[in-house]
Amino acid sequence: MRKSWLRDYIIKRLLYSIVIAWGILTITFILVRVGPSSPADKYLANLAAKGHDPAQVIAAIEARYGLDKPILQQYGEYMLNLLQGNWGWSLSTSMPVMELIKRHWIYSFQLILLSSLFAAVLGILIGIYSAVRQYTKTDYAFTFLSFIGISIPNFWLGVMLILIFSVKLGIFKTYYDTTLPLFSLANLKALVLPVITLGTGMLAAYVRYTRSAMLENLRKPFVVTARAKGLPEHVVIGKHVFRNALLPLVTIIMFDLGSIVFGGAYLTEIVFGIPGLGQVSFNAIFANDYPVVVAITLIGTLVVLLVNLTTDIIYTYLDPRIRYD
Amino acid sequence: MRRKVVTIVCAVLAVICLASGGMHLSCSQGRGEIRVKGVFIEGQSGGDAETLNWILAADATSFSYVGHTLDSLAVYDNNFNIQLRCLAKDIEVSPDGLVYTITIRDDLRWSDGSPVTAEDYVYTLKNLMFSDWLNYPYKGDWQEEVNGEKVFVTPEVVNQTTFTITRKTVYPEFIYTLYDLTPYPKYIAQKYEGDAKAFTQAPEFNNLSYTGNLGPYRFKEWNRNDRFVVERNPDYYLGKDVGAPYFEQYIIKLFGTSATRQAALEAGDITYSAIEPEQVAKFKGLPDIKVYTVPTRGYTILAYNQRANGWEGLRHKEVRQALSMAISKHAIAQNILLGFAEPAFSFIPKVSPWYTEEGVMKYGVDELHDKQKAAEILYQLGYGIKQADGTIKVTDKDGKLLQLVLVVNVGSKPAEDMAFFIRKELLSLGIETEIKLVPWPTLLRQYVMNAVPGSKQEPAYNNGPDAVSQEKWDLILMGFGTDPLAPSGSHVFFASDGGLNFMGYSNPQVDELFARARSKEALDKEARKKIYAELSRLLSEEQPVNFLAFHRANYGFRKNVMGIEPGVNMGYNYHLWYFE
Repeated sequence: MRKSWLRDYIIKRLLYSIVIAWGILTITFILVRVGPSSPADKYLANLAAKGHDPAQVIAAIEARYGLDKPILQQYGEYMLNLLQGNWGWSLSTSMPVMELIKRHWIYSFQLILLSSLFAAVLGILIGIYSAVRQYTKTDYAFTFLSFIGISIPNFWLGVMLILIFSVKLGIFKTYYDTTLPLFSLANLKALVLPVITLGTGMLAAYVRYTRSAMLENLRKPFVVTARAKGLPEHVVIGKHVFRNALLPLVTIIMFDLGSIVFGGAYLTEIVFGIPGLGQVSFNAIFANDYPVVVAITLIGTLVVLLVNLTTDIIYTYLDPRIRYD
Repeated sequence: MRRKVVTIVCAVLAVICLASGGMHLSCSQGRGEIRVKGVFIEGQSGGDAETLNWILAADATSFSYVGHTLDSLAVYDNNFNIQLRCLAKDIEVSPDGLVYTITIRDDLRWSDGSPVTAEDYVYTLKNLMFSDWLNYPYKGDWQEEVNGEKVFVTPEVVNQTTFTITRKTVYPEFIYTLYDLTPYPKYIAQKYEGDAKAFTQAPEFNNLSYTGNLGPYRFKEWNRNDRFVVERNPDYYLGKDVGAPYFEQYIIKLFGTSATRQAALEAGDITYSAIEPEQVAKFKGLPDIKVYTVPTRGYTILAYNQRANGWEGLRHKEVRQALSMAISKHAIAQNILLGFAEPAFSFIPKVSPWYTEEGVMKYGVDELHDKQKAAEILYQLGYGIKQADGTIKVTDKDGKLLQLVLVVNVGSKPAEDMAFFIRKELLSLGIETEIKLVPWPTLLRQYVMNAVPGSKQEPAYNNGPDAVSQEKWDLILMGFGTDPLAPSGSHVFFASDGGLNFMGYSNPQVDELFARARSKEALDKEARKKIYAELSRLLSEEQPVNFLAFHRANYGFRKNVMGIEPGVNMGYNYHLWYFE
């Protein structure tokens, strides 16, 4: 019974997702083209310096990339190519967009995955500990540190970590080495500083959220009942209180995941020289590389929709009372 | 004879090394043993290249990447002596200055072993660079104006290794455009001729798989936003006698910030990087780093808006002179640029063979840095009032407070510091300056580009004397550059119709001098020198902009890198660099 309505719900949401993704793709496609900038902008200063007529050259460059055609024709051709698996040619990196994304997604993915795991696991554990030991010296220390963690800007922390652990102590390389095998200890070691950099802010936030959610549930009558029934404390905390506290935490963690995918890892990638999708998308925006901007937006949209759907499904398992029918 | 012996020894050693399957080869050059070894890693933080298909490129990084695998016809050393690369001998110019005869080496080879010929160069020019279908953005470099029409120069094959380029008008500095020429292989390019999309996506051009023995290195890998890797080219035509290049690989590693790039150099993770002025002292103190300080062709100016939407006073030479007189260039060079700059007075850098100080007005230093005199001049011109204590307060013509808008690109600390220093200097005259820190694209679009109000003109950097920018401004702080060998290129900044004359400066005498520097008269180098001297003098007096400072750059290398010749063209001989 439960599976049936959930399956229907998932199918319906997936269909909605396709429509939403198509809508966002169309809006992005039009917006980037009707804006005042052009991929030919990069030529302007050099051309003027050589005394050339920029308008003539811009027209020529736009003709080279088919940007002089009516926007509807461009859109029609783009959609047709997209349906055939052709995402176009990146104007700023000179390679097929699909190939560009295939090469670079893994750098972002491993960073985001490890940072989220690092932040979620440690953050939740510390948060639980802080809640259970409320108003102790340890709780105060964790609260103080988590406020620092939330306040430190990513890029500053990254540079500091490099100066201390790479330059002074020589433990890590100053930049991420893309030649290392993906599944190797060396790669894991290379990711330590970037993961700490990206994960610290999230970790600190999770500590605060977990502590607060745990404290809220610790005061509820079912905890008194569980304790009165003589359940061991670790069962009360782990099975009853934490499970109830998990619902808002899942929302926040999944929301963070979506935000990072949409460029939140950019600064960490910049500091450690990680050529991930964050860098790809930001460079594409500044270079007016339309095919890449549209593709990255589409991928980001799909990831966020997928994350939201996954969050909804997780809810139903964490709290069986939740139904979407 | 001795050279021949060295060549034979090198060749024998090369054969032995290659036969043993090793990459290492050594060669005695009278300066100890030089071995092929190690990986040279250059740290960069200016963004990645756009393409390796150079004819489509707009950025300098793309050309620099390709340059590792493909030599131009010639380069210059630090003293501007010509260094032949693909040329067999220097370009010959006919006495009338119209015909250029180019003779290339006969040992240049494409990757398939076929010879690089004059036909490849002429094909590249005629069928690719001059074509309509490919839209080479810089085709204007190869055009001249004849009877009011723009026409291309005429390239012609003479024989296998010689071709000529004929102009209809004289332009003495055209030769420097020629020296930069690189070819595409006709046998590959023909396949894509007429199809811009296919040419853009051609794997041979995007993977540089055609470059044969034309460069010291061969393309290996390009991971976007990360690294560009080339490996030693054992067949390099300049390496035959000396075994160069001496690095097994040359890697350009990209960094997002200068701080991380410099940290990588300090930690020993990279071999070479530019160093910011404030870090130079620290790096000079590091035992494993050698820092070179070299002159550059770049300079900072304070542009005076002489268009209708700038303060009207700036249209008068005497006002511009007075303002320039109030700003100390020594303070800028020493205190803000930390000594890595020197005061500039005109547009030709000191390293240029055309540089002269004769007759140049040195505003901003010594007796021409005098705030009291500046205030007096402005008062005499009607821009000021005498206060009760006898001092002069500079005002507008109506005696009201003079407020100027100074625009500067946000994000460059030295530029921001300079802007605040200039505000302080002008404030001592009684002039208030509002500083606008704006992003570069905003600065270009809203302040630099201009159009005639009410017209349908597309904004450009100079749309004529009646054009104005979208936003009002009075002063803009920015960087300009002058080619030390061909300063006449600066006509774009200072000639009335110059493409980058966004300030709206106009002086028929300056226009005429730039035209003469690009005419038959200038074929005579002595005559050209006189023209440039007069231009320098005139512009230093006219102050269309306040020439503030010529910059010096700092480069840090690991100490074991040998063979470096520091100078304005450092790197011209980089194929001879080696690890000790």
